[in-house]
Amino acid sequence: MGILADKMRAATSKPPAGDALLVLEDGTAFRGKSCGAPGEVLGEVCFNTSVEGYLEVVSDPSYAGQIVAMTYPQIGNYGVNLDDAQATHPALRGLVVRDMCYTPSNWRSSESLPEYLWREGLIAIEDVDTRALVQHVRDHGAMSAVISTEDLSVESLVAKARAAEPIVGVNLVRTVSCAEPREFGAADLAGSKAFAMAPPADERYRVVAYDCGIKRSILEGLVRAGCQVTLVPWDTPAEKVLAMAPDGVFLSNGPGDPSAVAGTYEQVEKLLGEVPLFGICLGHQMICKAAGGTVEKLKFGHHGGNQPVINLLTGRVEITAQNHGFNLVFPSLGAVEGAPALADPSDLRSWVDTGAAPIAANARYGGIRLTHVNLNDGTAEGIAFTDIPAFSVQYHPEACPGPTDSHYLFTAFTRLMDGKADYLDIDIAKDRLEGWRF
Amino acid sequence: MPKRTDIRTILVIGSGPIVIGQACEFDYSGAQACKVLREEGYRVVLVNSNPATIMTDPGLADRTYVEPITAEFVEKIIREESPDALLPTLGGQTALNVAVELAESGVLERYGVEMIGCSLEAIQRGENRKLFNECMEELGIETARSGYAYSVEDALAIVAEIGLPAVLRPSFTLGGAGGGIAYSEEDLVRIVSQGVELSPISEVLVEESIEGWKEYEMEVVRDRAGNGIIVCSIENFDPMGVHTGDSITVAPAQTLSDVEYQRMRTASLAVLEKVGVQTGGSNVQFAVNPSDGRMVIIEMNPRVSRSSALASKATGFPIAKVAARLAVGYTLPEIVNDITGSTSACFEPSIDYCVVKAPRFAFEKFKDSDDTLSTRMKAVGEVMAIGRTFEEALGKALRSLENGRYGLGVDGFVRAAEIKEGYETLLARPTSDRIVFIGCALRCGWTPEEVHEATGIDLFFLNRMADVVAVQEALRGARVDDMDAESFRIAKRYGLSDVQIGFLTNSSEIVVRTRRKALGVVPTFNAVDTCAAEFGSSTAYFYKTYEGENLNGCRESPDAHSSKPKALILGAGPNRIGQGIEFDYCCVHASYALQEAGYETIMVNCNPETVSTDYDTSDKLYFEPLTFEDVMDIVDVERPDGVVTTLGGQTPLKLARALEEAGVPIMGTGADAIDLAEDRDRFADMLDGLGIAYPPAGDANTLDEAVRVADRVGFPLLVRPSYVLGGRGMAIVYDAKQLRRYMGEAAKISPDHPVYLDKFLESAVEVDLDCVCDGDDVYIGGVLEHIEEAGIHSGDSACCVPPFSLSDSLVAQLRNIAWRLALSIGVRGLLNIQFAVKDQLVYVIEANPRASRTVPFVSKATGVPLAKVAARVMAGEQLADMGLPPDDRDLSYRAVKEAVMPFGRFPGSDVVLGPEMKSTGEVMGIAPTFPAAYAKTQLAISYELPKAGTVFISVADRDKRSIAAIARDFHHLGFTVLSTGGTAKTLEASGVPCRRVNKVSEEHPNIADMIADGQVDLMINTPFGHGSRGDGHVLRLAAVRYGVTYATTIAAAQALAAAMESVRDGALGVIALQDLPQWG
Repeated sequence: MGILADKMRAATSKPPAGDALLVLEDGTAFRGKSCGAPGEVLGEVCFNTSVEGYLEVVSDPSYAGQIVAMTYPQIGNYGVNLDDAQATHPALRGLVVRDMCYTPSNWRSSESLPEYLWREGLIAIEDVDTRALVQHVRDHGAMSAVISTEDLSVESLVAKARAAEPIVGVNLVRTVSCAEPREFGAADLAGSKAFAMAPPADERYRVVAYDCGIKRSILEGLVRAGCQVTLVPWDTPAEKVLAMAPDGVFLSNGPGDPSAVAGTYEQVEKLLGEVPLFGICLGHQMICKAAGGTVEKLKFGHHGGNQPVINLLTGRVEITAQNHGFNLVFPSLGAVEGAPALADPSDLRSWVDTGAAPIAANARYGGIRLTHVNLNDGTAEGIAFTDIPAFSVQYHPEACPGPTDSHYLFTAFTRLMDGKADYLDIDIAKDRLEGWRF
Repeated sequence: MPKRTDIRTILVIGSGPIVIGQACEFDYSGAQACKVLREEGYRVVLVNSNPATIMTDPGLADRTYVEPITAEFVEKIIREESPDALLPTLGGQTALNVAVELAESGVLERYGVEMIGCSLEAIQRGENRKLFNECMEELGIETARSGYAYSVEDALAIVAEIGLPAVLRPSFTLGGAGGGIAYSEEDLVRIVSQGVELSPISEVLVEESIEGWKEYEMEVVRDRAGNGIIVCSIENFDPMGVHTGDSITVAPAQTLSDVEYQRMRTASLAVLEKVGVQTGGSNVQFAVNPSDGRMVIIEMNPRVSRSSALASKATGFPIAKVAARLAVGYTLPEIVNDITGSTSACFEPSIDYCVVKAPRFAFEKFKDSDDTLSTRMKAVGEVMAIGRTFEEALGKALRSLENGRYGLGVDGFVRAAEIKEGYETLLARPTSDRIVFIGCALRCGWTPEEVHEATGIDLFFLNRMADVVAVQEALRGARVDDMDAESFRIAKRYGLSDVQIGFLTNSSEIVVRTRRKALGVVPTFNAVDTCAAEFGSSTAYFYKTYEGENLNGCRESPDAHSSKPKALILGAGPNRIGQGIEFDYCCVHASYALQEAGYETIMVNCNPETVSTDYDTSDKLYFEPLTFEDVMDIVDVERPDGVVTTLGGQTPLKLARALEEAGVPIMGTGADAIDLAEDRDRFADMLDGLGIAYPPAGDANTLDEAVRVADRVGFPLLVRPSYVLGGRGMAIVYDAKQLRRYMGEAAKISPDHPVYLDKFLESAVEVDLDCVCDGDDVYIGGVLEHIEEAGIHSGDSACCVPPFSLSDSLVAQLRNIAWRLALSIGVRGLLNIQFAVKDQLVYVIEANPRASRTVPFVSKATGVPLAKVAARVMAGEQLADMGLPPDDRDLSYRAVKEAVMPFGRFPGSDVVLGPEMKSTGEVMGIAPTFPAAYAKTQLAISYELPKAGTVFISVADRDKRSIAAIARDFHHLGFTVLSTGGTAKTLEASGVPCRRVNKVSEEHPNIADMIADGQVDLMINTPFGHGSRGDGHVLRLAAVRYGVTYATTIAAAQALAAAMESVRDGALGVIALQDLPQWG
């Protein structure tokens, strides 16, 4: 590093920072500057395309085990408000950005993002050509990577990345679930969002939520819809849950490979049909696994706030927030009547053209209707059981970050608990509007 | 839902001439719409009075009417073409207003025409503040507290409630015309009384001031199934108080947290639904209180807008194209994302770069007008720049403006004072230069917080700018040789240009570039792909940036391989007065023609409003500044076989020599030929050699020298500084006193440059000629006879093709001169020659071996696309092989072009035409006769010709002889003639009945009172000399203010009289371009 370059950098608002390296298991390497805590960390590298909402991403427990690269280049612009955090402490391994902002500006901000990262001991690297990284991951798939501010040898870091434990087959949920049951109600809602959010509905439902790494905003979504929530650890026996006589059971999002979370989906098998069920993301995968479905790893996953999902029941498209690396293979749930000949069985978009919502005949639980399909790649995004009260979506109706088009699914859950057969039949525009206060 | 089959013919309305607030972005959107609708199999009928548009190319619609966009003419077209549907949402406010008029008057119903894209009710709810506010109240979305005033008294009563300052917005005016902020009761009275006049419904909204709040704009697209998406969010750099069109804006929104952004998103979607925008694009604007997040909606436009063009270019999402498909029945999920070619168009683009738009102003053209930026738009153009950070994009935007700057300061342009004092007022008042002053203030030790206090600009932006300045200052004084790759990379990532680095290191751009490249610091090119690289993209739309060390070189780059020869076309940069859409038209045509000729075409431009920067236009698009550095970086990657520099106006022409010296192959006319035409001495020598006459001339550095030139050639003189182009600083001086004053000013402006003095040929007829030369042959595209005499800038003068008063032998003489000049200069492509004809003698005033402003007009008038012909010549084709129609053929009709002036936007500035160009746009009229065609142009501009009433006539002494005949014409047309002083005497002596009225300087009621009172329908006032401050000045200002039709030259008055006569004698018919002979 030259003297002049140091002088130029030192003149900016960026504090002095050490070098850092991001190295992928295939040898691809990026040199940058440390912009979080010092150290070294291994994880699976993925990218998120949300333009704003970096704190929500950083603190999302579903990112346990992962290194996240933000595709928007300038991160940290509006600082940090801890009420936006999705968990008390972040679970992701590391953060990769093109340019970190040390001098943010927003009335809600209480500290800068680098300050937060430092406080949380989170390793982060800036000055990385994140677009090149994204293209690499897009073309070659998610892979292990390492960020280090200590070891600056590419060879040594490649070796470490190759030796890293792969994410497939690992139960990461146990690392982010709560240890003991706890309550979450209207009093726990974040105060600093009240300027923008509609006040919660009256408490009418008692819901037990399996905490596989639940996002705070999901809890808030349930509470705002009128639920008093009891969080239980990821492997809580179904009997114990049913003994609490809840109006409904919620299955949360969470990190990693769903196949490794038998401790949850084996309980779900016993809950299906016994109590109204709603699952989001990993929770959706738990329901699919419980019904005997196959959940496969996607090449590079869906992580962002702009994924179009069509509701096959209404034809309406929701712009959704997504964060998952694994996905349901819909036909694996059972034989599908009237299935068109598909060139690619995972591309379900031909159902969009036919305007029908197909039903898989499931051996254990009866009909399972495909309700939602991703318009970009035709993957399954949501299902609803026709014979028992249960439905789930792969994406995130709580958003945070991302659009709130799918807010209606929380309303749908309450309607399901009310026993309405047409619980999913909701005007999404009207419902979306009701979540806000202007 | 598939497309509709119950409609077959669709009428598309364009936006008419380029005016401030409504520019070529509507050509971009309209052209896209026409293309899409025809692709879908509809028969497209188009009306647009602006000939310089791509959309009016006869190939883009089935029936193209270059006619006034008025209810009367559109009805005629409807009668002629029987369209099933009318699409009004792509032609700006003009189209929307006409559509509303046609709907409300029952014309649409009478002819069974359905309005598609937007219903009358939705337009009314979107545009009428009262209805709009009611809708917002139902949604629970806050609007600023306000009330409606129909008089000054109403306004005072409202302000008593909401307090001052108050924002004033007249209803239904273009770009907020007539609006403003009142800080005092005096302001309030002034603006409201003016606004009530300007508003077609005499209504002014008086609103609580939310000045200083953050301002945002959301670009929304919605389909008839109710699916809605946000294409782009835009944050204004300047806080509330400056019109969005005048503000630097940034995409995406930079300082909103997710909860704030999503709330705004939901509100935007709800607004469209509530207002009832069934399909298409709209924008919704918000203000956010920076201290508590309180969000207030400002307005929405139920149509495609300037910002939707920006959003389309910023994201790659083609809003107008999609809106056109949605209007004919498709839904969003049925449309494929154009850019990726595989994913759905029903999504929200995710971008991985920062976009900065910067406005281009022209205050130097309008002396005495206030250059404070306000809620009334004054920018004449804009640029867009893309970078990976705000810092980088801002630097690129500032050097794209072509105002001599190369970024945020340190470009040798202004030496910043080293003292901290003196910036308070410069920062507090929003002006076009404030961005520069912010840089200076930060450099002098102002903290970002202090600048924030003074300007209200968000600290995020100021902190970024402070970093830019800090990096610059850290570099200052270093030697280029001390710079390593890392320091270059840092400089580049903070948006510094090579010119700036050269300035800071006391070296030159070329030295910096050489050193930088030797160190391997070269840009990478990223694609604009709508999806942040999540999916592959098949569209070649790039911008450049500088990335850090990427140790294994894994990244995309433009595919520079091509089996075809490559042509790089340099665009025209930002629209400004003197260089507008006409040049973009030429560049686009060149791209089409060269593609047909087998080339891969590569467009470079930085103007987001244009068709040239549509990713669809050329094979590749580089959205980059048109500077040597940026163009050469692209040349280094693409290695083009030829670069086209003669079609984008002065911008690329200025680069031609440097590019040629750098070894870049120039297509068409070479740099030396350009120099031959531009260098006065070389050009004069050549004319002498050819025996072609030109006005006697000389140059002078001092007043003494100037007087000697004047003695030699005689007054009047056309004088201009030698260092500027496009008529800047030009004037006509009639006597020694005026010459002395002019020389005094010129010496102040630029002591180092001489002043050129040409004999001014008074009352000569000016003629333009556009031709193409291939080295052997010359094809005369058109001979354009000006209406106004020589001395009025050709861009501001009306003109007619073919000539209406020149003899055949004179035209033959002009053609002959053109042949000899084109061949002698060595033109390979277009040549424009300006002639002055006086006493049957032909003088050459100048010759420009490049595309001229009149090329699109001539092409439409004659059916021969000159720019395409020129591009093919550049590609090596011979004119003789193209099968062009004979260029001396008779045309059975006359086409007139008339300039559109922006005086209404610059109160205080005189409206007199002169050698300095001031018009922003043009309209065209086609008719069998000159008067009828001229009448159409007047209708196209002012929308109304007074049919009878009162004409006020007051002319300069030299015009007194010719005025009598004209006055008599008006008298016969049924006008009452009013006159003052000398003019009245002349008229009385000539036996023209006229009524004497008091001069401005005489007692009340005088003529100024009568104009204010609405008693004058038409005014003819010719000024004497330059910068007259007499009665005439006052009257002309009054005419603009009260919307009185006026003429400031005898020729225009004559044409006006003839036009009115032709309107009276019979209805003007409509003519489709397709019914005139078309070639190619």
